[in-house]
Amino acid sequence: MLKALVRFQSMDRRWVFLGMAFSIVIPMLMPWSCSFQVDRPVRALYEQVDALEAGDTVFVSADFDPASRPELEPFYRANLHHLFQKDVNVVMGTLWPTAPPLVLPIFEEIAESYGKEYGEDWAFLGYTEGRELAIKSIGASVRKSFPKDSRGNNTAELPIMAGLDGASDFDMIISVSAGFPGTQAYVLQIQGQYNLNMISACTAVSAPDYIAYFDAGQLTGLSGGMPGSAQYESLVFADGPPEGARLMATPNMNVLNLGHLYIILLIIMGNIAYFITRAAGVES
Amino acid sequence: MIDGVTSMELLGLWISIFFTFSILSFLYEDNPVYKLGEHVFMGIGIGLGTVEAWYGVFKPKMVDRLLEESHYWSFVPVLLLILLFMKLSPKLADWARIPIAFVVAAFAGVKLTGEANGRLVAQVAASMPDLPALYEKHGWWNWEADGAGVISGLVLVLGLCACLLHFYFSAPHNKPMRAISRVGVLTLMLSFGASFGFTVMGRISLAIGRAEDLLGFSQPPGNITVLGTEMTRMSGMRWMTILTLLGFIAALAAWKRSGGGHQEPPAQATGE
Repeated sequence: MLKALVRFQSMDRRWVFLGMAFSIVIPMLMPWSCSFQVDRPVRALYEQVDALEAGDTVFVSADFDPASRPELEPFYRANLHHLFQKDVNVVMGTLWPTAPPLVLPIFEEIAESYGKEYGEDWAFLGYTEGRELAIKSIGASVRKSFPKDSRGNNTAELPIMAGLDGASDFDMIISVSAGFPGTQAYVLQIQGQYNLNMISACTAVSAPDYIAYFDAGQLTGLSGGMPGSAQYESLVFADGPPEGARLMATPNMNVLNLGHLYIILLIIMGNIAYFITRAAGVES
Repeated sequence: MIDGVTSMELLGLWISIFFTFSILSFLYEDNPVYKLGEHVFMGIGIGLGTVEAWYGVFKPKMVDRLLEESHYWSFVPVLLLILLFMKLSPKLADWARIPIAFVVAAFAGVKLTGEANGRLVAQVAASMPDLPALYEKHGWWNWEADGAGVISGLVLVLGLCACLLHFYFSAPHNKPMRAISRVGVLTLMLSFGASFGFTVMGRISLAIGRAEDLLGFSQPPGNITVLGTEMTRMSGMRWMTILTLLGFIAALAAWKRSGGGHQEPPAQATGE
């Protein structure tokens, strides 16, 4: 027994990876239903978006790349559906150079599925460099931060931008953020200065930092990682997803649960093995 | 093997499978295929960033303004850019200090105002909850609101004070201070545990995303032709994944047999 515990502690890490692979693949191939509750920050986020009225305009900062796609794409899609269902106009830009090839096709696909007109109901302003300075500039003037949209039109001449310039002219700022520059930089640089109504969807790694912004009222809603996306999906698609769309995060909640159980099991077993072998005076 | 209509698409799908496995093969051991994946990823990332920077920044904000709008102030950033490259010449390197000073000063100013505005004022205010108002809204403890209430407010204030006192070194850490310090350490440990838990969740989510792609769950409905056989896109993706995985296992085995990977370190010279 003692020998087995010693061997367990010095187990080749590749077995741990293999176990994790199985704990992810098996529930995907043999899915089961998994219930979950909607957290307060996600419900607040949903209510904020739901309170928007037809004709309102939001600015979405889509700051994520393929690496964070599994966590943020489900939210991004559900959020666009939610906004277009409510006939809210959407202006989007990004601070990440790798974002446009990922976010633009999805934006186009969902906007077209609702019959929305480019330039009138939605616009993609592309990428701008400058990180925090760019955010500062967005706060003062979106038109100057993105002089041309992704199709080469002058941003100032787009009908959707009529009467809109600074970040405070928009009814809401939505930050879909995988890191820096993203939600934190927006909160620090312009949220307080312009008293913006701002919500955020972030990766799980960033969620503990951003919860403080939600509690302080700097963010009026927050969705963290894949569970946040799944909770938001459950609210937006309460009657099922629209035709051509599918739930992306919700089916993976059971996979996430099993993966977590596997890690917890390893931590518990590792600690038990450590304390037993230490008490017996055996070195691993 | 490849149907004429879907050939490029099929190739794209296979490339995504190949590079996923090439990066994941590092979990087994550092190997040439992993290195290939790493270098291709770096190259594409830098190339994409450069193109985006040209079309998103340089062209609309500098070139177009200068050439089409005759906005001559836009020559100032061009001048700063040229001065920055003076760093390459030892004789003219001092000129590069001007744009560097500009960048440092601008970022220092932006950071300072941002931290003061968004973090210092708002966060300090939020760490002093209005307990009577909190009691009125949530009572002592509200399960419906994720545990919000007076107890949570007190835990926040006491935990924050204990953490701050743990890092206060101008007073001797006598018995009462040690007890407070211990509470501070426990609070920090709880926050580290929460951060670790969220990090694990994030990493598992990323693994789920790749597994979804490899197993074909992210494929739209429709058929695909693989090895001359028509099948659903999901099945096609799975077959390609299985075949690529087998190919990787065979390649890694052959590489190991040929002496790749960790080698025994050479015996040390005896120093005769």
